[in-house]
Amino acid sequence: MGLGELTAQNLGLPDNEPAADGSDILQKRGFVVTGIDNVINWARTGSLWPMSFGLACCAIEMMHTGASRYDLDRFGILFRPSPRQSDVMIVAGTLTNKMAPALRKVYDQMAEPKWVVSMGSCANGGGYYHYSYSVVRGCDRIVPVDIYIPGCPPTAEALLYGLLQLQEKIRRTNTIAR
Amino acid sequence: MAEFQNYTMNFGPQHPAAHGVLRLVLEMNGEVIQDADPHIGLLHRGTEKLAENKPYNHSIGYMDRLDYVSMMCNEHSYVLAIEKLLGVRPPIRAQYIRVMFDEITRILNHLLWLATHGLDIGAMALFLFCFREREDLVDCYEAVSGTRMHATYYRPGGVYRDLPDRMPRHQNAGNRSDKDIKRLNEDRQGSLLDFLEAFTNRFPGHVDEYETLLTDNRIWKQRTVNIGVVSPERAKQLGFTGPMLRGSGVEWDLRKKQPYEVYANLDFDIPVGVNGDCYDRYLVRIEEMRQSNNIIKQCITWLRDNPGPVMLDDHKFTPPSRVEMKDDMESLIHHFKLFTEGYCIPAGEAYAAVEHPKGEFGIYMVSDGANKPYRVKIRSPGFAHISAMKEMVVGHMLADVVAVIGTVDIVFGDIDR
Amino acid sequence: MNKRYQALAARVLSRFGDQLTRVESTCGELTYELAREDLVATAQALRNEDGLQFDTLIDLCGIDYLTWGQAEWQTKDATGTGFSRAAQRETVLPEISDTFEPRRFAVVYHLTSVSRNHRIRLRVFTGPDNPPIVPSIVEVWNSANWYEREAFDLFGILFEGHPDLRRILTDYGFIGYPFRKDFPLIGNVEVKYDLTEGRVVYQPVSIEPRTLVPRIIRDDSRYASGQADEAADG
Repeated sequence: MGLGELTAQNLGLPDNEPAADGSDILQKRGFVVTGIDNVINWARTGSLWPMSFGLACCAIEMMHTGASRYDLDRFGILFRPSPRQSDVMIVAGTLTNKMAPALRKVYDQMAEPKWVVSMGSCANGGGYYHYSYSVVRGCDRIVPVDIYIPGCPPTAEALLYGLLQLQEKIRRTNTIAR
Repeated sequence: MAEFQNYTMNFGPQHPAAHGVLRLVLEMNGEVIQDADPHIGLLHRGTEKLAENKPYNHSIGYMDRLDYVSMMCNEHSYVLAIEKLLGVRPPIRAQYIRVMFDEITRILNHLLWLATHGLDIGAMALFLFCFREREDLVDCYEAVSGTRMHATYYRPGGVYRDLPDRMPRHQNAGNRSDKDIKRLNEDRQGSLLDFLEAFTNRFPGHVDEYETLLTDNRIWKQRTVNIGVVSPERAKQLGFTGPMLRGSGVEWDLRKKQPYEVYANLDFDIPVGVNGDCYDRYLVRIEEMRQSNNIIKQCITWLRDNPGPVMLDDHKFTPPSRVEMKDDMESLIHHFKLFTEGYCIPAGEAYAAVEHPKGEFGIYMVSDGANKPYRVKIRSPGFAHISAMKEMVVGHMLADVVAVIGTVDIVFGDIDR
Repeated sequence: MNKRYQALAARVLSRFGDQLTRVESTCGELTYELAREDLVATAQALRNEDGLQFDTLIDLCGIDYLTWGQAEWQTKDATGTGFSRAAQRETVLPEISDTFEPRRFAVVYHLTSVSRNHRIRLRVFTGPDNPPIVPSIVEVWNSANWYEREAFDLFGILFEGHPDLRRILTDYGFIGYPFRKDFPLIGNVEVKYDLTEGRVVYQPVSIEPRTLVPRIIRDDSRYASGQADEAADG
C-alpha cells in the first residue's frame, strides 16, 4: 500500500465503510465522500517536495536517501533546487553565523504551507560544534522547526523515518476546520 | 539598442551546483566572466580552535567532519601527526587496514565527485549508478566502525578494532520477497574481506559503465575539454596537489614520493594528465579509482594471510581491552587516566601529510607538552584549489563555472574548517 | 633525520648562514626561524636556486604563543586540596597595549619542492608591533594569497604588500581575531532571528564557557631521550 494511494485510511473515511479501498468505492458508487481537509492533507503528504539545502555532512546522507537504495521518489518526495517550488526545507548540516541570513532568506522565499526538518545534531542544537564561536546553536533560532532528526549524521533510514513522521504530522493538521 | 554593461551576479550560497555553500560574486560581460570573487567561510566552524580545546583523542571526530566525503583519510593525517610526535609506529596489520580504508575512501570520494559533477553538467543517470556503489562502501564503513560516514576508526597507535568476521546481512522486514533478500545477501555470507573482494571484482565493470556514459560522450567532451586549463608551472605556483596537479601533467603523489604506512610495498601507478583541463582531470580520477581498486585487492590478500594485533599495547595512549581492565589494576588506572585526562604529548611540532583523494591533506600540530594540542593547522587541499577559482573561470562562459566547480572537487567542510 | 635531509640542511646552512636559525625537531623535520626583514629575499632564493627549488608553498599559518606552556590545572601542589571536576577557565583579557611580547605571534610557512621532493618549514616572529605585521610573499608564491588572508582573518596579522587583505572565513562584519588565545571559544556574539524586526540579528552570547577536560602538562620520561627521533626515522 503506497502512501500516496487513494485509500480509506488516507482519506479519513469511517471504519465501518464496507469497502476499505478508495478505488473500490469509486467503482461501486462513482464518487467518494470525504472532508476537504482530508483531501488537502492527502495531496500534501503525497507530494512533499523538499528544498535541497545541503550545508555539510548531512547533505551526503540526504543524497543517499534520495539515491538508488533508499529512493525517496517512491514517496513522492522529489528534491527541488528552488525554494519557490518546495514545501519542505531539510536543514542538513551545520548552520554557521555567516550562513544564517541566507537560510532565513530561503525560508522566507518558500511558499506556504511550508515545513522545516532539522537534520542532524548540528542543526538540532549545534552538536559537536556547540561551543564554537561561529556556529548557530540550533537552526530553530533562525527558522521554526517541525521535525528534529538526531544523529551525526542521521542515517538515510533515519531521515526517511523523519519524513514519514512529517507526513503523519501533516495528516493531523486541519486547514479548514479549526 | 541599449549597450550591455558589465554587471555583477551573485551565485550561491544556496545553489544546487555550488557543492555546498560556495558564494561566488561574478562580474559578467554578457555571458562571459570578467572577474570572480569566491566568498568562502559559510561553513567555518572553528574546528582548529575547538581541537585546541579538547584532548587529542576527542578531536579525531572533528577530522571526519572536515572533508565529509573522505572521512578516514582526514583521520589518517591527524593520527599520523600524533604518532609522529609520540614517535611510534602502528602494527603492520593496522597499517594495511589503514591503507585499505584510505583507498576505499578514495573510491567513495571519487564516486561522489563523479556523481555530482555529472549531475551538474547534465548526466543524471550517473548519480544513481555512483550511489549504488557508494552504498556498498559505506556498508564497509558501518561494518568496522558502526557508522556509515563518520567512523573515528583510526586511533593513534593503530585502528579501533580488527576487521569483523561477519558482514551484516539484510533482513526481511516483510516488504520484499525471499528471493530478493537472498540476492541482496549473496556477497554478505562471509567476512568483511569477502564482501570487499566481491566488490573489487565487480567494480572495474562499473567503472566501465561510467566511462561508456561519459568518456566519449559528445556533450561531456564539449562541457569539459579545454575548460579551466592550468599549466604545470601555474599549478605548482598556485599550490595545487593531488588530481588537480596530476591533471596538469606533474607526476606527484605522496603515496609514491614520500610513502607513508605500507604504500612502498604495494604496486600501483599514478595516472597523469596532459592538457590540464577538466576532461584530463576527469580521466585522472577515473583511473585513480581503478588503481585504488587494485590496492584494495592487494591489501585483502595480505590481510587474509597475516592476522595480528591492530593496536599498540602501550596503554599510555591506547586503551586496554575490557577483559584486561576487569582483572588488572594497572589497566584500570590506564583506562581511567586515558578517558578522563587523555595523554600528554612531548613538546614539539610535526607536519604529517597524506595523499587525500583531493590532494595533500596535512596536519601541522604544535604541542607544548599538554594533553591538548597547542595549535592544529589543517592544510586542506580544497583551500588552495578554490583560491585559484578566479584564474580558472575568467574568460569562460557562466555555464562553465559549474564545470570548473565540479572539477575542482570542493567540499566545504575542509575548505572552511 | 635521513641522509637527504642532512644534505639539504647542510646546503641551507652554507647558503644562508646565520640568516636562518635551525630549530631542533624531534621528528626529523627541518625547521628554521628567520627575521622578517629577510623573509622575501630568502623566499625568493629558496624558490629559485638550484638544489633548493621549493616550487610550492604548501601551507601558511599563524600561531599565537600567548599561553604557551601554561596549564589550567597544576597537579604538583594541588593534590592536598583535591580537584573540582572541571577547571575554572580564567578570563584572559584582550591585549590593549601598543606592543606585544616580541615572540607572541608567528607565521609558519611550509614549503615543498615537487621537483626535488623535499620539505622545509620557516617561522617568522612578528616582533612587538601592534598590529603584528610581516611582509607578504604573494609575489613569490601566488598560493599565499588566500593563506595570508586567512592568517589575517584569524590572528589579525597584517601582510605588507598583500593585494587584497580582506577577511575570508569569519562572518561579514566580524569583530575580533578568533584564533588568538585571548578570544573566547564561544565567541562574543551569537545570531538569532528577530520576529519584530524580521531579520537575523546579533546578540551577546548566551551560553557559559565550559571546559570538560582541563589542560594539564605532565613530563613523561620516555620522551626525554632521543627515542622519538629514532622511531620516526624507522
